[in-house]
Amino acid sequence: MLPLAGIRVLDFTWVVAGPVATRILADHGAEVIKLERKPGPPGERQRGLQGDLHRNKLSIAVNMAHPRGLEIARRLAAKSDLVIDNFSARVMRNWQMDYDSLVQLKPDIICISMSGFGHVGPRASYVSYGPTLQALSGFTLLMAEDNGEPAGFGYSYADMAAGFTGALAALMALWHRERTGRGQFVDLSQFEALVSLIGPAMLDISVNQRAQEPPGYSSQETPAAPHGVYRCRSLPDDNDRWLVISVRSQSEWERLVQAMGSPEWARHPRFRTLFLRLQNRRELDRHVESWTMTQSAEDAMALLQKAGVAAGLVSNGMDICERDPQLQARGFWGTVTLPDGTQTKVTGVPIKMSATPGSVRTPSPHIGSSNDYVLGELLGYSDAERHQLIAEGAVWP
Amino acid sequence: MFDAGALSGLRVLDLADYRAHLCGRLLADMGADVIKVEPPTGDSARRIGPYVNDTPHPDRSLFFWFYNLNKRSLTLDLMDPEGREILLALAKSADLIIESSQAGKLDVLGLDWSTLHGINPALILLSITPFGQTGPYRNYQADDTVLTALSGMLYVNGSPGQRPVRPLGLQAYHSAAYYGAIAVMCALFARERQGEGQWIDVSMQEAATAAVEHVAGSFFGERRIEPRRGTLHWSRYFRVGKCRDGYILHCTLGDWTSLVEWVAADGKARDLTAPEWHDVLYRAEHAPHLFDVLDDWVRDYNRDELVERAQALRLPYATVRAPEELFDDEQLKARGYFVEVEHPELGRTFRYPGAPYQFSGTPWRVYRRPPLVGEHTAEILRNEVGFTPDRVRALARAGII
Repeated sequence: MLPLAGIRVLDFTWVVAGPVATRILADHGAEVIKLERKPGPPGERQRGLQGDLHRNKLSIAVNMAHPRGLEIARRLAAKSDLVIDNFSARVMRNWQMDYDSLVQLKPDIICISMSGFGHVGPRASYVSYGPTLQALSGFTLLMAEDNGEPAGFGYSYADMAAGFTGALAALMALWHRERTGRGQFVDLSQFEALVSLIGPAMLDISVNQRAQEPPGYSSQETPAAPHGVYRCRSLPDDNDRWLVISVRSQSEWERLVQAMGSPEWARHPRFRTLFLRLQNRRELDRHVESWTMTQSAEDAMALLQKAGVAAGLVSNGMDICERDPQLQARGFWGTVTLPDGTQTKVTGVPIKMSATPGSVRTPSPHIGSSNDYVLGELLGYSDAERHQLIAEGAVWP
Repeated sequence: MFDAGALSGLRVLDLADYRAHLCGRLLADMGADVIKVEPPTGDSARRIGPYVNDTPHPDRSLFFWFYNLNKRSLTLDLMDPEGREILLALAKSADLIIESSQAGKLDVLGLDWSTLHGINPALILLSITPFGQTGPYRNYQADDTVLTALSGMLYVNGSPGQRPVRPLGLQAYHSAAYYGAIAVMCALFARERQGEGQWIDVSMQEAATAAVEHVAGSFFGERRIEPRRGTLHWSRYFRVGKCRDGYILHCTLGDWTSLVEWVAADGKARDLTAPEWHDVLYRAEHAPHLFDVLDDWVRDYNRDELVERAQALRLPYATVRAPEELFDDEQLKARGYFVEVEHPELGRTFRYPGAPYQFSGTPWRVYRRPPLVGEHTAEILRNEVGFTPDRVRALARAGII
């Protein structure tokens, strides 16, 4: 049995951050019902990122601009344990779907709102996206190219981080309710969730008044040298192969030198200790790269790991999804069967529980595909009433 | 009136090394009693900088402080049989043990799952390790940078052909810590129904892989290997631009009419006034040209002036800020994000980053500053294991605590 079986989530989230949070809840057995707008063409959003985000969820197509659409949403909220959104503050309030309204319908309701900046404060109504939050919080500036120009993430880590933060918040609020019977409102600012992930740097600023420099490939944990990303030999069709190598202890260094075939340069006194290797790291990096350039990234990784040296291929999409032997061996990737009988792979569940493992079960739903179950079975609308709701434009078929 | 913390009553033994410290911290912030079990010489995180005033000292590591706020500290030598006995005594009344040792090491110490489950069937064991407990890499070595490489977090940042740019701030570890805490909550719900704890195996590689937005979706959806695109976001709606005094982030998802009128009024619109640019998908398709034109437009602006005017038009532009600027951020201030934590032995309070979420009924809280080495050892052994003061003193003399 899945650990969250019996927990119902009314899900207003969209884009990425919110859907990541509810994906986690759905993977572990919560009944997540997405309340969405008008369906598009059949077969949409079954594969790719959308397929990834919405697997294991149900979907209803309800017109929130229609009074009877609102009525459906409110009745469903009253039968749910948790209502979650990632709008800015005013949207749920305008629908009277905010915590203060819903608590009248269901006293132990839990509402999680994952807005960009939170529900109070001068920027509460601002629109945000993952990349804007990354820019505002220092990630983009401090993730710099070798020439010092800002690069940042190529994607919205902020959305993924807000997603797992939101899922944890939901579970802790549910746990509190389980023990006390009391619900509550969680005001999650995606911006704050992200700032909370650069804690030691923030303390360095507040305690030591130190302006933060882009760390480049300096270790952000215990000191290490060599520590970096090194270009490797090209594959026939790919000249973008790299290997990360991290060396901390003296014995790791000695094992690295041996694995590289004990080259002449490695015996030089300026690389003798970690202190000296850190001091002379630019030169050290050039030497290490002169070796990795002669190796395939895969072979060098295997060679170094066999010698007990931390090393990892800079995996691209194909490496991750098809070649990585560890992810394959652990069965990380999930598979869903689509309505047309074909299959697609999706991101798996990164948590292995011995007794109640989460799982990938059903594909991303077509919008409105659970109308009958939700409106009929859960809310008790008769067939005639459901047809009437469609005719009035409160529900999309 | 607030309730006690959402996790109050939960007893956690945190054996993890610094790679997984955040997990226990997340639970402690919400009221769990998290006992950090560290060797008598102190946790290795205490030897990671930065330090207060740059003076290395085991009780002044800011790295340690951030990850161990709200925990208690018990020093215990787990290499010693008596130390392990004390741990097992504590495990009898614990709800959760968090550990991050290399796969198989718990067996060697006699602290493996079957032993722990035998003495306390309700206990949950959370193992957070670089590659998990199974598979060909289970004994491979990794730090956060290696894990960003093997999860796809790294490859897609930076410019084509150039060195990939590493994520800031140990995000592979952080992803695993959050997924670990999520797993613990799931296991608590399962325990409510089934009465028994279970063993959770979190692989940092997998957690980090699940924290990448687009790489797997593009590959499984279209067999596209996501490339590095410079500062162009993979959605093609965002790119960094350079103003006179700093950087901004362009965003072409806002109201196009407002944006293009403004750019045209500055005489910099070039071909952007053509009607096809109103189509958001067209803007994505022709993003490089679009952003080149916009880069030329913002060149002579001051960063803050540009973004302020953009926000007034509800265009979601953003300044590319240094983290130092966050302490003056009006939004964070208005929400009371930063918190003061008193360190009496240093005679000072320090400003910490605060809550990632605001709970109305069971708020995130500072219960206690990060512990000094072994600060709560005597209190825990006397009150919770039932040792006499003499026995505690003898253990200290023997170097076990």
